[in-house]
Amino acid sequence: MITIGIDLGTQSVKAVILKDGVVLSRGQAFSGFDPAKAGEQVVAEALKKAQLSLKDVKHVTATGSGMDMAPYANSTISMMSADAKAGVHLFPKARTIIDVGAEEARAVKCDEKGIMIDFVVNERCAAGAGTFIEAMARALEVKLEEMGSLSLKAERASPINATCVIFGESDVVSLIHRQESKPEIARAIFDAMADRVSSMVYRLGVNPDVVLVGGVAKDVGFVASLKRKLGIDILIPEYPEFVGAIGAALVAASRVK
Amino acid sequence: MVWAIVGEILKLMVLAGLGLAGILVILLWMKDLTRKATYLRLFIQVVSLVAIYYLFTYPIWLLAALIVILAMTLVIGRFFCGWLCPFGFYLDLVTLLRKAFKIRYRNLPEKLNRALHVLRYCLLIFFLILPFLLTPINPWQWPLSLFLSGPFKPIRVLIAPLTPLIVPWTEELTAINGVNLSYPYLDQIIAYSSVDLVWIFMFIFVSLTLASSFFMRRFWCRFCPTGASLAIVNKFKAFKGVPALHIYKEEEKCTKCGICKRVCPLQVTEVYEQKGGKINTSLCMLCFRCVEMCPYEDCLKVKFAGKTVFKSRNWLEPPESE
Amino acid sequence: MPDIPQKEIEELQKSIKTSSQRIIAENIERMKKTSQNRPEAMQYFDEISNFFGQREKEIQAAKENGKKVIGYFCMFAPTELILAADAIPVRVSSGWYDAAKLGDRIVPVEVCPIIRSTIGAKMISLSPYLELSDALINVTTCDGMTKLGEILSDSKPVWTMPIPRVKDSAQATRFWREELLTVKGQIEALTGNKITGKKLKAAIELTQKATKAFRRLQEIRKGAPVIMGRDAMLVNQTYMWDDITRWTEKTEALCDELEKKAREKNWACPPDTPRVMVTGTPMIWPDNWKVPTLIEEAKPQGVLIADELCSSERLLYDPVGVDEWSMDDMFKAISERYLMASTCPCFTSKDGNEDRINWLLTKVKDWNINGVIYYVVRGCMLYAMEYTRVKRVLDHLNIPMYYLDTDYTREDVGQLKTRVEAFLEMLTARIDI
Repeated sequence: MITIGIDLGTQSVKAVILKDGVVLSRGQAFSGFDPAKAGEQVVAEALKKAQLSLKDVKHVTATGSGMDMAPYANSTISMMSADAKAGVHLFPKARTIIDVGAEEARAVKCDEKGIMIDFVVNERCAAGAGTFIEAMARALEVKLEEMGSLSLKAERASPINATCVIFGESDVVSLIHRQESKPEIARAIFDAMADRVSSMVYRLGVNPDVVLVGGVAKDVGFVASLKRKLGIDILIPEYPEFVGAIGAALVAASRVK
Repeated sequence: MVWAIVGEILKLMVLAGLGLAGILVILLWMKDLTRKATYLRLFIQVVSLVAIYYLFTYPIWLLAALIVILAMTLVIGRFFCGWLCPFGFYLDLVTLLRKAFKIRYRNLPEKLNRALHVLRYCLLIFFLILPFLLTPINPWQWPLSLFLSGPFKPIRVLIAPLTPLIVPWTEELTAINGVNLSYPYLDQIIAYSSVDLVWIFMFIFVSLTLASSFFMRRFWCRFCPTGASLAIVNKFKAFKGVPALHIYKEEEKCTKCGICKRVCPLQVTEVYEQKGGKINTSLCMLCFRCVEMCPYEDCLKVKFAGKTVFKSRNWLEPPESE
Repeated sequence: MPDIPQKEIEELQKSIKTSSQRIIAENIERMKKTSQNRPEAMQYFDEISNFFGQREKEIQAAKENGKKVIGYFCMFAPTELILAADAIPVRVSSGWYDAAKLGDRIVPVEVCPIIRSTIGAKMISLSPYLELSDALINVTTCDGMTKLGEILSDSKPVWTMPIPRVKDSAQATRFWREELLTVKGQIEALTGNKITGKKLKAAIELTQKATKAFRRLQEIRKGAPVIMGRDAMLVNQTYMWDDITRWTEKTEALCDELEKKAREKNWACPPDTPRVMVTGTPMIWPDNWKVPTLIEEAKPQGVLIADELCSSERLLYDPVGVDEWSMDDMFKAISERYLMASTCPCFTSKDGNEDRINWLLTKVKDWNINGVIYYVVRGCMLYAMEYTRVKRVLDHLNIPMYYLDTDYTREDVGQLKTRVEAFLEMLTARIDI
């Protein structure tokens, strides 16, 4: 049975085609000003890669902040449920799934069937989400993709006072004036972010195994900081930013019955 | 001869009166649900009074009477105090009189009320050892002297509240046309006061007990020595099933609204304070006013041998005056 | 109050009043749409829910006839005393989002939005009931309330009633009774009517009848849903300003209709809809209907079955338990009903606020609640600090609870929607297991 999961995030739109629990193809694009159109694009892209057409698809489920605008969607599901379902599908022992996206972070506690037991969301403080890294990368004049590996070079983290994204830029400038090195500043930034995310997760309670998903999971610097802060090992799937879409596709499959 | 006929007619009238009272109670039950237990209790008190009156026309052994009451207590707690004691009934009538005049009742301060509890036990012990203080008795005669011989029988003190106002066979007080009047404990006062002062003591005692019970609900019951002997049974938490009749509280349904504490005639606070389970208190006379007035369904229950007999209701019925 | 030019006041008043009426109409439309076979008796409540309609005119007419109007903010005001003095009690808590922004001009943004909204409403004379009040009873429950009295005393006579934060002791009940005696004197002085035993008895019986109708409605909600939560909440809330006798009548009629619906199995929404309970800070009509609307219009849908809000089910749940109908006992019964029965977190005791926890537990068990939403407006220290205790208790029962904090704003509806829908998904999944 073939299903599609669409994740309309604030920054990017992802689509996944799933057949009997296996990912056939993926599609991704920036949301831009017309997320619905971007959604159509990614679905088309994924269908082309899988050499299928919409007729072959039994059910389409959308998730993400723009899920109500998703094209072709037969139903919707919340990001939290999608994360839980996908997390357990990819790692059967997963019980806590942390999803750090561009603008918000969330954590979900689930049982062995992938059913959500509890969840916690942090959408008020951007310093716990991907935008923080972007803003700091700009301030440090470092490429976004290089931030992670840069931070791994540091042995310690610079002392950061204010950790607000808005004031971050001026903070970075003053740190450089104080002869702090870029790796150390980068590490401090990731530590601050991991601090926020982990305090949110502690509110939920940490149940191993812990899985990290979302675009930010690709960043090695953040992963290292989070592992340090939580003090346990963290599992990361191969394409972490597609986990939401995978979850939606799995839910679509269960809804066909 | 005339008196005999009058006596028989009176008996019939009393029985008819009881029957009518029973019907009245049933009618009131159907109408005013805030006082179900109260009306039933008043009725039972009247029945008990009449029964005791007739019982006492046959000289029965006081000891037997007391043993029966104490045995009942093991099963039904201080039920006797609330439902069967004639002295209690008179005090309830005094309260009804006060209510008719819309005069407000007074409460004793908490600490004083608790102190009176202790006083009860002191009084009980005092009366039990009084014979030894008065006349020297051989140790092995002690049990008998408690009940049978000697000028003073502690048993009479414990049975005193059973003395209805009109007792045909006792030798106390004045006889009015062959019918003797009496009041609880007066025979003890007569036994221990000098002849000159006896009337003053009797007068003081009667007026104090009546007046205080007028303003403070069931004042005497708070330190009645008979109640103490009954209450001792309740205090034994070790015996789980004793007594079989008790008030039970569901912890989660109680919102501490305090109505039970306020309406209790004896100012019992354990129903309010205890978190849940069987209410352990030796002061409660099981009048069930708290259960009648508790506004949360199933919060307070009256249980007999584990079965719920009466429970607090949801107050979904129309109010009193409808 | 700051000096705002009269023109600005009039403009703001007009614009907020118009938008308020629009929101009221909108809310009712949405409630009608969500409910299958909405009871006909709700029509009365829809009409009375309009602040600027029939009820305003009635109170105005009564005032012209010499009656006094006494407003209050918290549930502690003794309604029976006000009724016995032949005055009109009306609750003047404010539910306007736009008025809260005005309140920001005088008090900091961190202050409870309900208080900011009340201040804003006073600034532009928005609330008809607040304007028509001859006196206000202000109870010092929380910090915000305490200071609100001061701020409003510039425009209206405010009678402050201090409340003992630990209500369990004899001295606390005595203290509260003395405070009520003072207020009784103040009410008598204002109205010129003496509160006699007869009048007090009549007033108590009036509110007892109202309590019975109120409880009957909540009892009906124990079964499968015959009335949507928002409708029931509206019925509960209209008590705050409606004429009590008429409200009781109409609620009894509604209950009759609902019982008929239950017999015919005519449900307002599918019987397996997740049953949600809301507990926390009060939600005042019309703007602060945000969260119940989200719950009942979400996909998957949830239905609000019960709540622990002082603007809804805590209003009338406890009766005045009079033992003997003497003046003294009636007065004691009234004073204890208001103090002891309240589950407001402004109280504490050696075991914490166990009254509230017991109430929540009974509700969760007897009303078959699937999940609880703990709703706190930003800045409410008291409710926020009780959260962990309540969560502990509900975790024991394995009932999911979600902490939702929000403000008097429409901007976070999107974010709240995500969370509420995730929560409802969780509940649906648990029911399906």
